[in-house]
Amino acid sequence: MPEIPLLSTTDAQPTDETEPVDDAALLASDIELGYGEEVVVDCEHLVIPDGRVTALVGPNGSGKSTLLKGLSAELTPESGTVLLDGRDVHERSVSNLARELGLLDQENDAPGGLTVEDLVTHGRYPHRGFLDPLSEDDYAAIDRAIDLAGIDHLRETALAELSGGQKQLAFIAMALAQDTDVLLLDEPTTYLDLHHQLRVMEVIRTLNDERDVTVCVVLHDLQQATRFAEYLVALEDGSVYDWGPPEEVVTEQLLADVFNVDASVRHDPDGDPHIVPRHALE
Amino acid sequence: MSRRRRVHDALAPDLDATLASIIGASILLTVVAGLVQVRYGAYEMPLETAVRALLDRAVWTNPSVLATLILGERGAATLGLSADLGVLSNPTIIVWTSRLPRVLVAAFVGLNLAVSGAVFQAITRNELASPYILGVSSGAGVAVVFTLLFSLGAYLLPLAAVVGGTAAFLLVYAVAWRGGTTPVRLVLAGVVVGTIFNSLQTGLFYFIDSNGVMRTAVAWLAGSLTGVGWPEVRVVAVPTLLVVPAALVSARQLDVLLLGERAARSLGMRVEHMRFGLSALAIVAASAAVAVAGLVGFVGLVVPHVVRTFVGSDYRQLMAGCLFAGPALVVVADVFARLALPGTQVPVGVVTGLLGGPYFLLLLRRTDSFTEF
Repeated sequence: MPEIPLLSTTDAQPTDETEPVDDAALLASDIELGYGEEVVVDCEHLVIPDGRVTALVGPNGSGKSTLLKGLSAELTPESGTVLLDGRDVHERSVSNLARELGLLDQENDAPGGLTVEDLVTHGRYPHRGFLDPLSEDDYAAIDRAIDLAGIDHLRETALAELSGGQKQLAFIAMALAQDTDVLLLDEPTTYLDLHHQLRVMEVIRTLNDERDVTVCVVLHDLQQATRFAEYLVALEDGSVYDWGPPEEVVTEQLLADVFNVDASVRHDPDGDPHIVPRHALE
Repeated sequence: MSRRRRVHDALAPDLDATLASIIGASILLTVVAGLVQVRYGAYEMPLETAVRALLDRAVWTNPSVLATLILGERGAATLGLSADLGVLSNPTIIVWTSRLPRVLVAAFVGLNLAVSGAVFQAITRNELASPYILGVSSGAGVAVVFTLLFSLGAYLLPLAAVVGGTAAFLLVYAVAWRGGTTPVRLVLAGVVVGTIFNSLQTGLFYFIDSNGVMRTAVAWLAGSLTGVGWPEVRVVAVPTLLVVPAALVSARQLDVLLLGERAARSLGMRVEHMRFGLSALAIVAASAAVAVAGLVGFVGLVVPHVVRTFVGSDYRQLMAGCLFAGPALVVVADVFARLALPGTQVPVGVVTGLLGGPYFLLLLRRTDSFTEF
């Protein structure tokens, strides 16, 4: 595979990325994404490295969700391409794409009468033909997904009886049952209590560690992203501001430029950055 | 649990206790109402005679008699099975040529409307959707009144209804389409197209000057089973043979569609194709019912709703329930339509409204939320 330049940002931010990424699960080049006339994301080059957890961070309106829509072929770019495993996502059939790339939306809705197991079973949809009954593989995948999400005890519970956090875990299990190599998650921890935020992030880590799934997750909370992701992509106004391991990306400069926050960034002995926000900048 | 799941295949929904009792109760209701319908009427006969007529050996052991009854003389003749029905006793003739087919038509109409309503409720993600939500009723209504007004021939009425309904549906889809559709746009387009067609229909009514034609038109628009026989059974049975398996197979697609468009898409469903295909199925089912009974209201709205309150929103169970509960409602309603008022019959659509309406109100008062979806 030819060497892919890691990133070329339009901004003058120094980008001396160190870790070589020789394999891109998702590679977006020169994409412009928008709704109608308005261009929301304009990104020259974006790599979601294979087998890693990458977090997309940025302030509200920076184009995180839109970028995710572009990566999952939900939104057709005005120009540019998005390659999944070297093949354009828009050239793949919807079901082919769904077998390789999972996407979990920020807000999910399902009939309240559905049990957790029913919901997770829907994750097998792309793997089943029109008339196919569930196969042994399907059952195994469903069991694995429920197990991984840690909601075995809720299997028979109706969604209406679950808390917000439990519901989110159930939806994540559905996406896991899809058994894809790449998983995109749009703000999976927003609106959850701290316990469930951590549960969700731990599931993502386990998924990555044990099954080598590439994860790209939009996160609101920069500190959380720093803790759980191996790579950060910081977006500002629809373009990539910086890209790399958290300890390099998260700087006081970034917080000021992108998030409009005056903060101090301290590094603990392991090198992990800790953000202490001071006040909002004008 | 998963072991139990393992033994059934895609076409056989979990037959849990609730679903089984709904199906059982529906069958019981249908049979009892059917017997009442077969026994009572202008020609009086005791129940025993009616049952004997139903089980008449002269019919069941004689394929050519059975074929002549069901397929009509010409249909049977093409199979080389024609028989002279004069050999049958009077009760048998009455039961087999007039009362039984009416029960069958009622059952088929109920089934199709219930399935159609269930599908539309999922497609539009709206529990108040009915088979007529995408303009079918108003399109069919205009076509029917038009046909009657210009005396194009009564035998054309079923065809006119189907063509009108389908045309309205396609128009609704075209209006709602802007690089794709959404449930909300479909429903809005349905309301708008429906309003226009209803005005047209009312306008056409104004030009009807014969009382008889007016009566026929009203019966059609209200939904009536007066005078139906084996020809109507044949008309409605053929599409039903397609609708039933298609409905059962579609259940899983509907379940996934209910997760929302984006979720369905990310699970690999081609949402627009699927939605159009499922709408077409629902239109076929609704048209089959409209063609033989006119615009019977409320069934398609209330039956899926009732079944849902018992089995939940799992469409594999809901569909199976609708296949039995739909017939039960219409067969029972038709008993009232035909026998409640001595000497005259009311359109069955009026009765379904009168039976279904109060039930719906009761439901509305007893249920906390209608947001099952």
